[in-house]
Amino acid sequence: MKLFSSFVKELTLATRSFYFYIEIFFAVVLLAVVLFAIPEQIRAVQTQLLHLDLPQPAADRLTADLLEEDLDGQWQTVVLESGGQAFDTKLIETETARVYIVDSADAVRALADTQRNIGMVLSLDDAGQLHYTYYLQGYESQRLQNLLSVIPGASLDGVAEKIADLPVEQLAPDQVLLNDRENVIPTLIAFNSSFMGMFIMAAYVFLDKKEGVINAYAVTASSVARYLLSKILVVLLTATVSGLIVTVPVFGFQINYGLVLLLLLVSGFFASVLGLLIASFYADITKAFGTVFVVLILLMLPVIAYFLPGWNPWWIRIIPSDLVIWSFREILIEDGKTGFVLMVSAGLLVAGCGLFALADHRYRKTLSVS
Amino acid sequence: MIHVSGLYHSYSQDDRYAVKDVSFDVPKGEVFGFLGPSGAGKSTTQGILTGLLKLQQGDVTVAGYPVKSMKNEMFNRIGVSFEQSNVYSKLTARENLAFYRQLFDVPTRDPLELIRQVGLGGKENLKVGTFSKGMKHRLTFARSMINNPELWFLDEPTTGLDPAIAANIKDIIKAQNEKGTTVFLTTHNMFIADELCHRVAFIVDGEIKLIDSPKNLKLQYGEKVVTVEYLADGRPQTETLSTVQAEDKARLQAILGTYEIMTMHTKEATLEEIFITVTGRGLT
Ligand SMILES: Nc1ncnc2c1ncn2[C@@H]1O[C@H](COP(=O)(O)OP(=O)(O)O)[C@@H](O)[C@H]1O
Ligand SMILES: [Mg+2]
Repeated sequence: MKLFSSFVKELTLATRSFYFYIEIFFAVVLLAVVLFAIPEQIRAVQTQLLHLDLPQPAADRLTADLLEEDLDGQWQTVVLESGGQAFDTKLIETETARVYIVDSADAVRALADTQRNIGMVLSLDDAGQLHYTYYLQGYESQRLQNLLSVIPGASLDGVAEKIADLPVEQLAPDQVLLNDRENVIPTLIAFNSSFMGMFIMAAYVFLDKKEGVINAYAVTASSVARYLLSKILVVLLTATVSGLIVTVPVFGFQINYGLVLLLLLVSGFFASVLGLLIASFYADITKAFGTVFVVLILLMLPVIAYFLPGWNPWWIRIIPSDLVIWSFREILIEDGKTGFVLMVSAGLLVAGCGLFALADHRYRKTLSVS
Repeated sequence: MIHVSGLYHSYSQDDRYAVKDVSFDVPKGEVFGFLGPSGAGKSTTQGILTGLLKLQQGDVTVAGYPVKSMKNEMFNRIGVSFEQSNVYSKLTARENLAFYRQLFDVPTRDPLELIRQVGLGGKENLKVGTFSKGMKHRLTFARSMINNPELWFLDEPTTGLDPAIAANIKDIIKAQNEKGTTVFLTTHNMFIADELCHRVAFIVDGEIKLIDSPKNLKLQYGEKVVTVEYLADGRPQTETLSTVQAEDKARLQAILGTYEIMTMHTKEATLEEIFITVTGRGLT
């Protein structure tokens, strides 16, 4: 009852402050960006560069085989540029791949470099066996690299299909299941809904600190913990609402919203308690700004790692936002690992409770007489 | 209602004490005044008694609860008004009180009635952010009695209020005390203290110099001051002198022997004058 009336009061206060609307506003803006600015490009269509370093008859046959898979049965002549050099290429477009056939291995190397695509050179070795040389970008997973090393067959037969199919197989299960638009969602939710909570909470606390109202709370038959909890509930409410604003229009009702809610709530709890704790050390928002900023940057690093598959140092893995982002991903993809989501949720809950006990202690300790 | 003995408090956790060896008892039904200049340690003492500040050293029992193991429930019986008003400026006066009353488990008073009582009638639906300092202070005061406290802590309830409003607040405190509320009143306003308090403690630099009733203090110090008006070099002069202190007595004799006396009468000392006599310090 006391918690409920405190919650209602905090919500009233929140709706009369500007921060409450920031989060909702951001969610709407992000949704607009996701829906209108990020194309729903299917990742499965992968571009690759190919040079056939084979005797002419073999090269012709392979090209013909590839052409059979082409959508209109014909290649297009396309000029690609790299480092000021122009290369004539034959573009073959299949349902799953865009393959540029180029004239030399050097061209493959140069183009792979500037176009950021996988390059491949097919040649015959001394024993007359097919030999594959890949030019990778350095960020391909070990899994993909292993896959590439087992693909090559011994004969020319079926090589064309393999080349055409390669990208599909390459984008192994955990890579291919979200389109570009869906792929950015985990980071957006993790930030707007959860970790913004830290900032918003700190802002609420500083509004209260300016007025000294926590002292008034401390001399009632209700506890400081309840006061803190009522604030957390308000942040959780906005986190949930803004989280759903972004997810529902993009995913409809195809995902498990029980898990979405769980993760929004536990991550929002963790983040808001973190905000409480940070705010307890500073008198006003200007003094806290440095710390809040550093923590926000730290929490942002996993987003960079998420979009840069090649950069993934171990310490990123222990930043809570990294776990949240990857858990959201598991919820969004088909057959995601529910166990992982539950484990991360439990971890955030436990960590959040620990921080809450600490924050409660801090707030009691910093009560004052003036 | 309140028992304090050997209370010390240092904000810097060393031997620079804001409150030093303070001891006193407040029986049920009394208005106990804590008087002293700014910085004397009054608010610090109230802070410890109300659990806002951690008890560092000493023995403190409030309304039967040792403050070391204070429970939230105890605040059902206690009201606290703060020196610095602390109300939500984004809520209206009424919302502030309506929310606050929910935090108690005992019958509470009607917000509107309280708002009217402290002279803020008609302002109940205004956001407190639009209030003046004095109005916020009155709302903080009104809030402190919303749970019909048995024990009422008031930190400078009349400071910064104009005299008419201060008199109104004083009357409210008096009426509340007549209904049985014990009051711990912190102030540096000696007139309010004089009228309200059954007993007062003089506190300076964190130490209690004296505890007695205003009546006793006046009996003890009151008749022993003489105000003498005399002509010195043709110009009128006034001096107030003690009739007990050797130095003052000598001065009085010198005046009588040297100048032409115009008027001379003994006077009941004000609490403020007694404070100065006892502590050697003014109140501001
Ligand atoms: N939060 C605080 N931190 C450090 N010193 C304080 C704090 N609050 C009060 N003091 C110091 O303690 C002494 C007593 O202050 P206070 O109890 O507020 O006096 P009063 O209420 O009698 O004016 C003063 O010297 C004051 O500067
Ligand atoms: Mg004070």
